[in-house]
Amino acid sequence: MSSSFGLFFRTIIARAYPRIIGVRRQPSWVIHEAILPLLSVAAYAYIYRAMKAPESYIGFVLLGGAMTAFWLNVLWSMGAQLYWERSSGNLELYIMSPSSMMAVLAGMALGGMLLTMVRASVILLTGILLFQIPFHASSWPLLIGVFLLTLLALYGLGMMFASVFLLFGREAWHWVNLLQEPVYLLTGMNYPLRIFPTLLASCAAVIPLTTGMDAMRQILFADAGFFPLWLNILTLSGLSIFYLFLAWRMLKFLERKAKEEGKITVKWQ
Amino acid sequence: MAMTSLEVKKKTFRWALWLGWQLDSNWTEPWLFAIYVLVKPLTSSLLLVCMYFAARQVTPWVPVDFLPYMYIGNACFMLIGSVMFGMSQAVLTDREHYRMLKYIYIAPGHLQTYFVGRAISGAFQAVLGGLINITIGALTFPEVRHALTRQPTEWGWLAVYLVLGTMLLTALGLILTAIVLNMNRQGMFLSEGISGILYLVCGVVFPISILPHWLSWVSVILPPTYWLEGMRRAILGVPAEKFLDSPLSHWGHPALAAALAGTTLGLLILSQFVFRWSERRAWRLGKFEEQSGA
Repeated sequence: MSSSFGLFFRTIIARAYPRIIGVRRQPSWVIHEAILPLLSVAAYAYIYRAMKAPESYIGFVLLGGAMTAFWLNVLWSMGAQLYWERSSGNLELYIMSPSSMMAVLAGMALGGMLLTMVRASVILLTGILLFQIPFHASSWPLLIGVFLLTLLALYGLGMMFASVFLLFGREAWHWVNLLQEPVYLLTGMNYPLRIFPTLLASCAAVIPLTTGMDAMRQILFADAGFFPLWLNILTLSGLSIFYLFLAWRMLKFLERKAKEEGKITVKWQ
Repeated sequence: MAMTSLEVKKKTFRWALWLGWQLDSNWTEPWLFAIYVLVKPLTSSLLLVCMYFAARQVTPWVPVDFLPYMYIGNACFMLIGSVMFGMSQAVLTDREHYRMLKYIYIAPGHLQTYFVGRAISGAFQAVLGGLINITIGALTFPEVRHALTRQPTEWGWLAVYLVLGTMLLTALGLILTAIVLNMNRQGMFLSEGISGILYLVCGVVFPISILPHWLSWVSVILPPTYWLEGMRRAILGVPAEKFLDSPLSHWGHPALAAALAGTTLGLLILSQFVFRWSERRAWRLGKFEEQSGA
């Protein structure tokens, strides 16, 4: 029992390792991972500045830009990752190895999370410096707690995506591509959720970014928020458990189905 | 009988166009593809609409003209993103993913025309998405509808800007493609980066006068700024609000079109030099079959 736990954790570290070490070996990532996203964040910030919106709205844009980095990481480096792994021939090795696929996904999530944390920090800090937006958290421990809970739910969702996309061919790429902008829209990445009808905002709450950002805005900018803070925290906790459980079940089911349909080794489709 | 150079180019263009369309569309059912083409541009426009209404809730003085300004600018910008991104992305997918670039290079077709064909295929989808987007905007938002119907669309100038814009974007796309030919998979981020810079600097969704002074002058020398200003003016006319003024506001259509034509010609010439040089370099260094394990 202890050896299977050991293998599980060693697999997590092993899969997280290339993502973390890659940062040091390929410093050019700073340009495309941090500077490029900052351009669109700056464009959105200038829209609010043009409309003379309150400075906290530019803060929403910066926070949204930072959290978007995690969403993109979840989509491309979690959701679509098994599709890339299949094309490069790694997936069959993962399946053949004695370690669990859940551990492989958890390692991908951990590595991605740490890497994206740097990217999000660069976006946030540069944005604060460029646009001179004051951030005053009412409670730092609460902010960190909500942030970590958001990441847990978000990466649980990513692990679920990864198992679903295991069955897809080129559709995986297109679906991931399609999930970008609509999620920016629904989660209120750049604006308060108040402009949505209650039904729409409640539906959007199943995306952890929605609830996470609504909660973080309340803590950081004393924004009224759409949902009460306690409800956001409760929702995020529920979503974390739900998505991780669903990811585990789906991975089991879809791994078997992919084997039966011979999709583990299919490439370039 | 051997084909002439023009015939080779025409044939390459036709097949590249068809291939681009097949790669983009044959992964799913037509209805799902139609939704895919529509959803992406529409949601990116709706994001701006939501920002506008969020700001109006707290600062009611924001002029109603700002919404159509952003909406139309964003719809036009989709063409820039799709042509530039599509053309340089073709290098990466053909080389890294399908591993066919070396065969395309040694085939009797014309490489440059092949990439142009792939880009134009994406441009058709972007134009279609943009048109549907504007139609939905006009039907849904009175601000956009009012701005579109306030004065007649200047179809002649719109056609001029569309033709010049296609040439401009092709030239920009060729320069990017040429550079990406000599880069590894990081090349993907180059086109994304250039697209991001243009979105920020060229007055796509806000007047360039909002930018820091030095940056607004950078904006004025970039050809896509003329193109976007021209397209928006042909569709919406000159904005009545002083708030939306830019250093180009006092230029008439002839001046804008002349500036666009001149800079486009310069870029077309430059693109030929850059592409030929890059193509030779990529061939010499074996870049056509270089793999980065992506």
